[in-house]
Amino acid sequence: MSYKVTEEGDISIVHLDGEIDMDVTEKAKEIIMPLIEAKKEVHLNLKEVQYMDSSGISVLIESHQKANEMGKKVILKDISKSVLKVIMMAKLEQILNLG
Amino acid sequence: MVALRQISEQRDFAVSSASLKDVRSFSREVFEKVNIDQDLKDELVLAIAEAAQNIVKHAYQGEDTDDKMEIKISLNNGELEIGFFDKGRPVDEKNVRHRKIDDVKPGGLGTFFIQQIMDAVVFKEGEKPWINHLILTKKINY
Repeated sequence: MSYKVTEEGDISIVHLDGEIDMDVTEKAKEIIMPLIEAKKEVHLNLKEVQYMDSSGISVLIESHQKANEMGKKVILKDISKSVLKVIMMAKLEQILNLG
Repeated sequence: MVALRQISEQRDFAVSSASLKDVRSFSREVFEKVNIDQDLKDELVLAIAEAAQNIVKHAYQGEDTDDKMEIKISLNNGELEIGFFDKGRPVDEKNVRHRKIDDVKPGGLGTFFIQQIMDAVVFKEGEKPWINHLILTKKINY
C-alpha cells in the first residue's frame, strides 16, 4: 500500500493505493487517525485500491467512529468496484459516508 | 489458454500477515486456470485470504513462528474444496462466530465474509503433523 495526503482547507484528502490487508492496517491507521484527531474532515480516495479485506474494512469503521466522536466526518471518495463490493458485503453502505 | 475442470494445487506459506499477499497470488494463479467469472474469482480469493488471516490472528494469535500453513485448492466435477492446515492452537468451533452484522464495530467480519461466499465451512482436527484442518467448499457452475 502506498499513500499520498493533500490538504484543501480543513479537508485532508488521503489517496490510498494498492492492496489493504492485515499487514498494512496499522500503517493505514497511523496515516488516518492523526488527521481525524486534528479535527480535519478526512476524504479517503479509494480509486486505486484494488483489494480490501475485513482488516481494511475495520480501518474504515474505526475511522468513521473516531470522526463521529470528534464531531467530524470521514468520507469515502471514488471507491473502486472491488472495495465497494466488500463494503456492500459487510452491509456498511448505509453506515459509512460514501461520497 | 484451455480452462481446466479439474485442479489440485497446494502450497506452504509462512504463518505471518506478510504472507497474505502470497496467499492471494497463489489463489489468483489457480483460479486463472478455471473458467469462472472474475467476480466469483475475487470472492474466492477474499474467502481464502480471510481464512489464512484467521490462522495468523487466532490459531497463532499473531505470534512469530517458523511454522508453515498449507493451503490446498481442489476442483473436481464442479466441487471446489479449499483446505487449510496449520499447527497452531486447536480451534474450538464454538468460538468461531462472526459478529452480528448490524452491530457495527471493527473486527469479526472475516468469518462473515467466508460464510457469505462459501457453501460450507467445516472444522476438523488435523491429521499429524497438523493440528487444525479447515475445509471450505462451494459448488461451481462453469
